Amino acid sequence: MTQEIKTVPFTYEVLSQLEMKEGILELQIGPAHAGSGHMRVLAWVEGDTVVKVDPDVGFVHRGVEKLSEDRLYIKAIPMVERPSLVDTVNANLGYVIALERLLGLEPPPRAQYIRVITAEISRIMSHLYGIAIYGIFMGSSTVFMWAVADREPFIDLLQELTGARVTYSHIIPGGVRWDLPKDFADKVEVALRYLENRMKDYEKVWINNPVVMARSMGVGKLSAQDATRLGVVGPNLRASGVEYDVRKNDPYAAYADFDFEIPTFKEGDSYSRLLIRVEEIKQSMSIIRQALKRLPEGKVIYEDYYKRMSPLMKEIYDKTGRVKFTLMLTSLSPPKGEAISRVEGGRGEMFYYLVSDGGKNPYRFRLVTPSFRNLPYFTHVMPGHKLADIPVIYGSIDYFPPEADR
Amino acid sequence: MSDQKTPRKSAFGEVKGHIDALATGFKYFVDPHRMTLDYPAEAMELPKNYRGFFRLVDEKCIGCSLCEIVCPSNAIVMMQLPVAQSPAPQAGAQAPARPGPKVKKRPVVDWGMCIFCYFCVDVCPTEAFEPSSIHDLSYFEESEYRPTFEGFLKLPESPSKNSKKVVAKLDEKNGIKYEEKGDKE
Repeated sequence: MTQEIKTVPFTYEVLSQLEMKEGILELQIGPAHAGSGHMRVLAWVEGDTVVKVDPDVGFVHRGVEKLSEDRLYIKAIPMVERPSLVDTVNANLGYVIALERLLGLEPPPRAQYIRVITAEISRIMSHLYGIAIYGIFMGSSTVFMWAVADREPFIDLLQELTGARVTYSHIIPGGVRWDLPKDFADKVEVALRYLENRMKDYEKVWINNPVVMARSMGVGKLSAQDATRLGVVGPNLRASGVEYDVRKNDPYAAYADFDFEIPTFKEGDSYSRLLIRVEEIKQSMSIIRQALKRLPEGKVIYEDYYKRMSPLMKEIYDKTGRVKFTLMLTSLSPPKGEAISRVEGGRGEMFYYLVSDGGKNPYRFRLVTPSFRNLPYFTHVMPGHKLADIPVIYGSIDYFPPEADR
Repeated sequence: MSDQKTPRKSAFGEVKGHIDALATGFKYFVDPHRMTLDYPAEAMELPKNYRGFFRLVDEKCIGCSLCEIVCPSNAIVMMQLPVAQSPAPQAGAQAPARPGPKVKKRPVVDWGMCIFCYFCVDVCPTEAFEPSSIHDLSYFEESEYRPTFEGFLKLPESPSKNSKKVVAKLDEKNGIKYEEKGDKE
């Protein structure tokens, strides 16, 4: 099955030709956040048809990569989770895995399981947020309010574990900072059962709603071949029918131990990008349940770090499960070398690259985020659609400007 | 996993879909799930491990500067404070072999820069920071963000201390349910 690949070259000659042509109107959507996110979408329309779209990104660039170069390794942890605020655990996890590969240490199995549990809770929250944004972009305040509110039980769970609502900074090299509280598994079960029941109502109000179907089916189609060629990642790629998930293809943490499926859809339109998030929430629930059932006993921090703790620190850890930082953990200086890590974030594959020159700060840190890699949807999928389809396609790809800009 | 079929519409399904959506909307109109709080009349009682404002316990602090080193946002500054000199030794008593240091180093946090990651609390070898779950503070002036050393020794006053305290409980039906907490703090 071969399809003709649609390419829209972006050069300034093409742009000026467009501007010269009569009847072409240039529209600026954003950068003040009016449903554009913190970015500007430049769209050229002929009548009601979009002929060209140019996403203008970089409005919320914070320079995470450069800033990390004059910081201790551990100080970059709160920074890497800032770009993708609705999916902080996965962002944190990827950086720590790269750092652990550089240090050559393996966290204990209990810590790996706790990482999986928190990462999956984070994925559920990220997907709910994606559904919410899709809802509000299509004009449904109901589903926006529902999905944002339904993140609350999960925020509450992680708040109980870590003490913060969004920026958990829970994962550190060698393990995690807090052990699970005793009744955590029961509370997770309550939250999961709540969301399961609630998902039935989502299906009635939103997913199987004929208005949503009419509005999003067949809109923003991307074939599997084009999706691979353009390098889009995550649920969007799987909605186009490519079975690729870092959790399965390159298992990290404890993902190799669990039984889960990678849902895929053939259509590759906006509607299947909505459905894929619903299906993935179900898979995440299954992973959380399996992990809680098989949670191994033991320490949540690397054995060597525990040994180096002072008696007071050991006492605090044994009593409350709170890991105190040792001096060694604070001033990590990995041997000369480089390491990469990939994690499957809520929006897709996150890539981390760390270079160490043997000093206390990273020599180079590179972070590739899924939102940036999903930008081809703007340039290659939106042209040819109606102007009113821009919000539908934008909402369906779960694009998060701060994450793309880093 | 094999590909899944996207549910495609049919004429019957369309009618049923509309009715289902309206019926579900009506169900929530009659029995809404509310997760909002009437803040500041009601305020959430946060768990003990909530990462809020913290204070320094001067007696425990040894002035090692680890908190300053580990602070990701460089919010902690070590201050040089003069040490109150011990009274002059009594006549006849043995003079101390070495005089104590004239200054001591103590951390002070700029709340405007603090991101409440609690790295400093966790790195402190003597547990000299006393955490609290107070988090809902605001200031009028920028300068108020930076407490003095004396100001950092006591916890700030919570603005919601007179509000009705409720505890958030996970609930299978409602997601989050707020239960009233009896005693006011």
